[in-house]
This record gives sequence, structure tokens and C-alpha cells, in this order.
Amino acid sequence: MFETILAGFGDTLNAANLFFVFVGVTAGVIAGAIPGINGPMAIALCIPFSYYMTPVAAIGFLVGLNKGAFFGGAISGVLLNTPGTPEAAATTWDGYPLAKQGKGEKALRIALYSSVTGDAFSTLILIFVAAPLASVALYMGPPEIFALICIAMTIIAGLGTKSLVRGLIAAAAGILVGTVGIEPVSAMPRLTFGIVELERNISLIPIGIGMLALSEIILQLERQADRKDNAERISFSSLPTDRFISLREYAIYIKTLFRSSIIGTVVGALPGLGAPVASFFAYDQAVKHSPQPESFGKGNLEGIAASESANSAVVAASLIPLFTLGIPGNVASALLIGAFVIHGMIPGPLMFEHNERFIYSIYGNLLIATLFLFCVGRLGLKTFCKAVQVPAPVLYPIIIFTCVMGAYLAQYAVFDVAVMLFFTILAYFMRKFDYSIICLIIGFILAPIWETSLQQIIIASEQAPYTFLTRPVAVLLMALTFYIVIKTARNGKKSSEDKT
Amino acid sequence: MTELRRNIMGYCIVALGGLALLLLIIPANVPEYPGYGVPASVLPNIAAGFILILALVGLLRSLSDLRARKRHADKATSISLASLLRLLSFILPCALLMPAMSRLGFIPAGIAFMLVIQLCCRQRKPLVMTAVAVLPVLAVYAAMRFVLGVPMP
Repeated sequence: MFETILAGFGDTLNAANLFFVFVGVTAGVIAGAIPGINGPMAIALCIPFSYYMTPVAAIGFLVGLNKGAFFGGAISGVLLNTPGTPEAAATTWDGYPLAKQGKGEKALRIALYSSVTGDAFSTLILIFVAAPLASVALYMGPPEIFALICIAMTIIAGLGTKSLVRGLIAAAAGILVGTVGIEPVSAMPRLTFGIVELERNISLIPIGIGMLALSEIILQLERQADRKDNAERISFSSLPTDRFISLREYAIYIKTLFRSSIIGTVVGALPGLGAPVASFFAYDQAVKHSPQPESFGKGNLEGIAASESANSAVVAASLIPLFTLGIPGNVASALLIGAFVIHGMIPGPLMFEHNERFIYSIYGNLLIATLFLFCVGRLGLKTFCKAVQVPAPVLYPIIIFTCVMGAYLAQYAVFDVAVMLFFTILAYFMRKFDYSIICLIIGFILAPIWETSLQQIIIASEQAPYTFLTRPVAVLLMALTFYIVIKTARNGKKSSEDKT
Repeated sequence: MTELRRNIMGYCIVALGGLALLLLIIPANVPEYPGYGVPASVLPNIAAGFILILALVGLLRSLSDLRARKRHADKATSISLASLLRLLSFILPCALLMPAMSRLGFIPAGIAFMLVIQLCCRQRKPLVMTAVAVLPVLAVYAAMRFVLGVPMP
């Protein structure tokens, strides 16, 4: 056991791996700093390039990318009053007023230290919690897995979207897309419409790139055409008190950082809620616990500390359901499933038995990425600030070209580019009609596991029709699913009545 | 188009799609039951049935909202002909890129593509346009050909 842990962490310290984690963190910060580009988009674009890395380096690179993007979002939030990522929205409330006072560098430094604190906290929780939870999850049979996927999908559709009905429709559509390809029982093509390329199943890469990156870029350009740039020019003060955060100042916020990290970890571990919920909730709690609540929104460092530590804590915490149950908690971890599968691993409780060394090397990568985030953030803060100034007409064509080439590189297939474009159009209309693309992607990823457990339940029911009812955990989870559906539907109706 | 009308239109399209899946597409594109295990049509039928039922629920709810005159809480959406044309202006060059690369070669087709996309992004500075068109294409070409060694499109 101890040897496995050491070997796993030893793999992390391989020079090539360290290099890719470093590149991932740096690229993530730059991507996050550019308004309109977020962590999942960067992951979707970079998964094809991770093919050429070792599994440890690939996952380290992608996790680093996601961690970097979470902090990067704060840069444009503070300097432009435009959050680079949705979770950085609460950071702008205090970050931008500070930047206008010339204390932008100070705001960014507290954002960095808070991100690192929240990130380190949730990484440690993941390391200590995942293995025991996975050993419990191993006792789950097909009925529990089936019910667990049902409840996860319902939570994601109900809490992560504006409309439960549209969220569930998107999830069902994702499951339908996941059934395209070779059917597992008869080994015959299913829903392939005679297209040979579809027989090897639809790959996650073109779907991810099309739905998360290209469609988003097209919509960003559309929004930019209608928007006027009204951000004020920001200048940095040269006074050390306006630039740096002393250890004493950091210690003042330690209670807020700790509380927000717990909030971020809990929210991240629950599927569907996501980082924006964590940061808004942590910000709200910081205001409630502060002796000067009126100072929030006018440039209070504590507001930035609360928001950033909470949203960064989500990154590692969202890996808890992924590692222990094989269920992605958010879109970034859904994309990571794709990366795991590409490298021959299936996330879930069995990974702790079959790929124990790999798990420890991922833990090592997570810790190293946190350390790199601290170093890269400290050394390159001024440089990253310049990333927010790259004009969209320069940046977006490069991203669009990368999208097309990334889709091609997944399997060296022109057909994948066509698939990517199809899902770009689909995502464009889904966004316009307010359907959740996250639900579709997660439905697509969970379709094979859901189908297998459903088939096992049906086959077992032929012998014993009430198998499902004899499993109390499965029954409880299904009851909870129905409760969430009814509760969300009622809340939706009530809020709709309130509007009138 | 207002949000309520958009939702009604969306639910109608989805419901029709669900119906078409259940009645036409799934029966015609699913292998026959081999006599063991579970029929291949079970999961697609469940998903399509679910889509149809949910779309009808959503449609009924939206129609009752429309009837209850909740229009004053209704907002306008950004769906217009101009936005569809903009979508097409990006999708069309992307769709033509791969065939153009196999006919004209990676670099000329890539540069032409970048120029067209930059025009769609409202870039009008010739020097910047040239640099952005040439440098990324050359960089990707070098990476694919000499670093990754992958087959070129």
C-alpha cells in the first residue's frame, strides 16, 4: 500500500509530467482571464492534444488547466468588471471597485491566495474522503447505480438549469445520442442510419468542442456585436500597501477562507450545483458574518476571499463523485471522464482497485497543480493581466481554427469535424431555446452505464419481478428523485405565479 | 420573439421530434431482438418517450401561461434572422475547410479560412489579418507534421 502511494507520487514528479501540469496551469490562467473562455471550453479544446501524453501527464495537464481557469476568471473580473468565467461574477463585486481605487494588484493577489487556499483544502478532502467512499460504493448493485444516475440527472437538470422540464429533455436527448453505435447485446449497429463512421459510437471530443467551445464563441461574437465596451481604464497604484497582501492581512481572512472552502467543497461534491452557486453562497455568508456588511460591494477584500476560495474549492471536490461513483458532478468532470476513457481508465469505485497507483499520481498532480498555481500566479500576475486585452477579432478566429483541427485530431477523421459542426448548431439552438447543454453532455456520458444497469435489472426481474423493491438504498434514491421532481416543479410554478 | 412563444415553439419541435423518433426513426434503425438479453430498442424508446412526455408537459404549461395572460412577465429573446445568418457565416467556412484542405493543401486552405473567419469577426486591419491568418496555420501545420506526426487532412 505504502509502496503504491510512493510510486504514484513518484510518477507525478516525473519531469515531463511536471512540465505538462505547469503548461496546463499557465494555459488555464490565460484562458480563464480572457472573457468568454472558461475551464470546460479549454478542456474540450485541449483533450485531443492530451492523446499524445502519458495518462498521468494528460490528466495532470487537464486538471491543471481547470484549476488555472478558475483563478484566471478573477483577472478579467477585477480589471474589466467582466468575469472571465461565470463563477468569478461575485469576485467582480469587490474586485472591480478595488481596481478603480488603484488596488487591482492587491485584489488579484488576495484572489490568488484565496484560490490556492480553497483549492488545497478541497484537494486534501478529496484525498482523504474518496477512497473510503469508493469502498462503500463497491457494494452497490445495478438497482442502486440505476437509481443513483436517475437522482444525479434530476439534480443536475433541476438545480443546474432554469427549467427542470427542459433540463430533463436535454438529459434524455443526451442518453439518446449515447445509444448511437454498436448495441452491446446484439453487437449490431443501432441508430447509425447506415453511416459506417457512426458504428464506432460518437466520440465525446467533437461533442465537447462543438457544444462548449465553438457554439459559445459564435454566441460571444453575436453578443459583442450588440454590446458597447464601457469598462473604465484601470491603473495600478505603486504603493506597497496597495499592491501586496501581508501575512497579517491574510490571517485576518482565515476564518472566511476556511468557511468558504467548506462551502465550495460541499457544493462541488454535489452534482449539478457548480462553482457559481458556491461563490455566491460563500459571498453571502461572508456578508452575514462580517461586522461591516455595508463595506461589501465597495471594495472589501473579504468578499474576494470568500468568492474565490469557494469557487476554487469546487474543482477538486467535483472529482469526489467522479472517483467514487463514476458520476460527473459538473461539465468539467464530465469531460475528464472522456480523457480517462481515452487513456484506458473508467472512473468509478473500481479504479481504486485496478488503478490504485494511477489514483495516487492524480492526487500528486492535484497537489502539484495547486503549488504551480501559487507560483505561476505570483510570478506572472502582470503578464496575465495583458491576456484580458487581447481583442476578440484576433483571438476568436484562432480558437475556431483550433476547434476544427481539435475535432479532426481526435481520430484523424473528417467525419468528426462534421459531428462537431452538427453539435455546434444543436448547442446554438439549445442555448437560444434555453435547454441545458450540460445535461445533454452528462446524459451522453452516463448513457452506457445507465443502459447496462437497466438491462441487468430487467434480466434479473424475469426471475424475480420485485428485485428493485428489495433494495432499500435504490428505493430511497428513487423516492428522493421523485421528491426532487415534485419539489422543483412546485417551486417553478410558485415562482412563475410570483412573477405575475 | 418572446420567451413564452419561444418556449411553445421549442416544445412543439421537441414533441414532434420525439414522436418521429418513437414511430419512425427508432423502429427503422434498431436491430431486431436476438432472443436473449434485452431488446436494443428499450433505452432509445424510453429516452424518446421521456422527451415526448416532457415536451407535452412543458407545452401544456406554456399554453396555460399564455392563456392566463402572463405576457407582461414575458421577455424578448435574441432569436432573429440576422443571428441565424451569423451562425451560417461561421459554420459554412468550417464545413468547407476539410474538403478545401484536401484539394488545395493544408496551408493555402487554412490561410483562406482564417481570412474569411476574421472578416466574419469584423477584423479590418490588413496587417493584423495577415499575421493572424498565417502564423496560427503555420504553427498548427508544424505541430501536426513535425511534432505529432499525424496524417494531414
